[in-house]
Amino acid sequence: MNDSVIITISIGLANIVMALLLAPFCQGVMRKVTAIIQSRKGPPLWQPYYDLLKLLGKEDIESGDSPVMQRAAVYMSLATVLTIACLIPMGLSAPMNSAGDVMLLIYLLTFSGICTLLGGLAAGSTYSLIGISRQMMIMIMLEPLFTVAIIVGAVHAQSFRLDTVLDGSVYMNRGFPWSGVIMLVIMLLSFQAFVERVPFDISEAETELMEGPLIEYSGPKLAVFKYASMVKLIIYSALLIDIFFPWHGGISMPLQWMLFWLKIFCLVLLAALVAATHARYRIDQAVRFFALLLAVGLAAVVLAGFGY
Amino acid sequence: MFDQARLNRLKERFGASLLRADMPADKRLFLYVEPSALKDICRYIFIDMDARYVISIGVDDRPFSGSFMVVHNFAFDRDHLLCSVIVLIPPDDPRVDSITDVAPAANWAEREIRDMLGIEPVGHRYPKRLILPDGWPDGVYPLRKDISWDHVPEGFDGGREYLFDEPPEGCMVVPFGPFHPTLDEPSHFRLYVEGEMVRGCEYRGFMVHRGIEKLSETVMSYNDINIMAERICGICGCVHSVAYSQAVEAAAAIKIPQRAKYVRTIMLEIERHHSHLLWAGLACHIIGFDTMFMQSFRIREPIMHMAEKITGNRKTYGLCVIGGVRWDIPLELHGEIRQLLDRLEGEWNPVVSSLSKDRNIQKRTRGVGVADRNAVKNMGLVGPVARAAGIDIDCRRDHPYAAYDRVEFDVITEQGGDVWSRLLVRAREVFESIKIIRHCLEKMEPGPLQAEIKDELPVGRMGLSSVEAPRGESHHFVITGENNRPRRWRVRAPTYQNLQGVPLMIKDQQIADMTISLGSIDPCFSCTDRLETIDIKSGVTKIWSQEELQKLANRKKA
Repeated sequence: MNDSVIITISIGLANIVMALLLAPFCQGVMRKVTAIIQSRKGPPLWQPYYDLLKLLGKEDIESGDSPVMQRAAVYMSLATVLTIACLIPMGLSAPMNSAGDVMLLIYLLTFSGICTLLGGLAAGSTYSLIGISRQMMIMIMLEPLFTVAIIVGAVHAQSFRLDTVLDGSVYMNRGFPWSGVIMLVIMLLSFQAFVERVPFDISEAETELMEGPLIEYSGPKLAVFKYASMVKLIIYSALLIDIFFPWHGGISMPLQWMLFWLKIFCLVLLAALVAATHARYRIDQAVRFFALLLAVGLAAVVLAGFGY
Repeated sequence: MFDQARLNRLKERFGASLLRADMPADKRLFLYVEPSALKDICRYIFIDMDARYVISIGVDDRPFSGSFMVVHNFAFDRDHLLCSVIVLIPPDDPRVDSITDVAPAANWAEREIRDMLGIEPVGHRYPKRLILPDGWPDGVYPLRKDISWDHVPEGFDGGREYLFDEPPEGCMVVPFGPFHPTLDEPSHFRLYVEGEMVRGCEYRGFMVHRGIEKLSETVMSYNDINIMAERICGICGCVHSVAYSQAVEAAAAIKIPQRAKYVRTIMLEIERHHSHLLWAGLACHIIGFDTMFMQSFRIREPIMHMAEKITGNRKTYGLCVIGGVRWDIPLELHGEIRQLLDRLEGEWNPVVSSLSKDRNIQKRTRGVGVADRNAVKNMGLVGPVARAAGIDIDCRRDHPYAAYDRVEFDVITEQGGDVWSRLLVRAREVFESIKIIRHCLEKMEPGPLQAEIKDELPVGRMGLSSVEAPRGESHHFVITGENNRPRRWRVRAPTYQNLQGVPLMIKDQQIADMTISLGSIDPCFSCTDRLETIDIKSGVTKIWSQEELQKLANRKKA
């Protein structure tokens, strides 16, 4: 076994462990910040860990239409986001750089959404069906948006390699990076939708659909699903940082790694702030909003093609 | 003033069919009419004279006059007059002409009369069971006088299911309720949904009847009912208690002391404060804006503390007795109440000004759940729902009671008729309430709290009272009776009318707007579901059958 394999495995493992360890903490930070905005005291920062542990210890009830699919959806959901964690650079270099390119990344991101759809479909309740129909509409609009961002980067970098694209590729050009800046704005505007928080938590909308696709989940499976969604917040934050804010000012390794996680916390804070100050949009309003963003995004690809 | 000329016009037009017209007080009018002319007279009053439909009441008057009685109440808001159209119906074949094609707002009230008294509304377009539980046998009418309050009918079939209508073609059925996170009480809307659009719905409610009206007619006494009336609603209990007391006082012509009027006014307005703030919070929670939910509950909390300080309770104040109030608002508390009002004003002002500029909330509420002027008129919608559609009605000004004729306030109206307008109306009404309490504190003078009532209350008199609850007009109708209790007491909470407007509001709207449309009327299901004779546990699960549950409950009791 040569050194590079060991390094790849250990960096991948480090990413997974960090994502799993810190995801509930980020959730806790979000809850605390929300509480402060709402003049509440809020739960302790460690509350999401307790919540997960408690759910994991509960009776495992399989109440949906097809339990096999429900089970599969849960595990695949977590497995997918953890696979993504192995692929992308999270403060260290991209671990499994040679295992795939950015197209694989796009497929995996889509797949994690499909897991939620499967879960909702397996539940078979009216509410979950409405939930997945909304989820589907959102996915149809969001996935191209992310793809566009990556393609803009790929065009600039003239490559589909993970480490090249996920390293601020959108700015890799002579002159002022117009397309990169446009994409940055677009991605920030749709960030809440990627991480499924208010005002775009439309498919789960507790007060309308009672958690939509998750309606038949309880106990350990719900815990796994929740865990996956917490990790998703980290993954999407990491992707945003990799594509748009990779700079570390040439500081040395451990500091650079810490800076990365600091950036993640900043994005988590931003997500909490937006979620606490907005009302939920309706699905048609959201779709119209994303359609506008997508149109602008496509224009950015064209700009990138001309070298701007 | 409803002048004599108009009464004469009515008499001229309907001649002999108008049997009798009583005007016991200058703001009440009782018209006794021939059954055959009932519909025409109601049409003339509702459409030509443009009165507002309030409620219909069925009465089993057989032990006294030998016949059934149906009363349709109308309000002439600009003339400050409440009017009852009364018709006596022979006991052997109780039928009455339905007025629903004249006033669609009478839909529920007539079905209720049919359920509870067995008076058939002839020509009603949709005479489906409304109130009685699904398993209740046909032909047993709980509000008839020959049925005792604890009567258990033979042949009650707990397994019988309610037959819902067929959904229209191409529509999926989405059950909204009986339990749903945004419903605080059980109620069932069966939505017909096409894609994300609601095409129609069927409502099945009345799941938590507590038999309050029957109890009052058979077991309680005049002053007990005050206590019970307050428990009709967990939010606007004081309104019901005041409305009931006023109805009895109107029937028996009791004049209550000035100070009692002021105390009632202040407590009613404190109740409006807490209710409007609660609503603002819940409405924002429904559209996913939890920060506003938390903030408005924080602002509301000191009001609850003040209520507790004055009455000993955060809610259910135990305020009214017939002829006055039970306790005073002592002078020591006046300063504290003023401080509270200042603080409330200071905190609510920025909230309202930032809310009214918030485009995000406007996006979710503008043009949503619209009830226009026509809907308000036809369905008899009241309160903020009517005022948001530009209909300028408010019982505090139109049918002044307590001390409202001595204070100055504005009636807030908006033009949109949508959820957004309702939000603005409620938000701004908070300031008017602050004004009213300040006026009251200034003008209150020392004096007695209760009128002295020496004799028994007169028997067989009718009393009406409308009180502006936070949700709209709460209307109580009382016929005084023997044994120190009323013969008939009918409560019409504002939600009873407003809920009938919901199917109109949600038709052809997105399913996501359903919750906030329903929420925007500030529904209060327990207020609506006040009438039933037996409390039957309906929690049927796979393990426990209803009978088993009942057996279990009985065993525990024994």
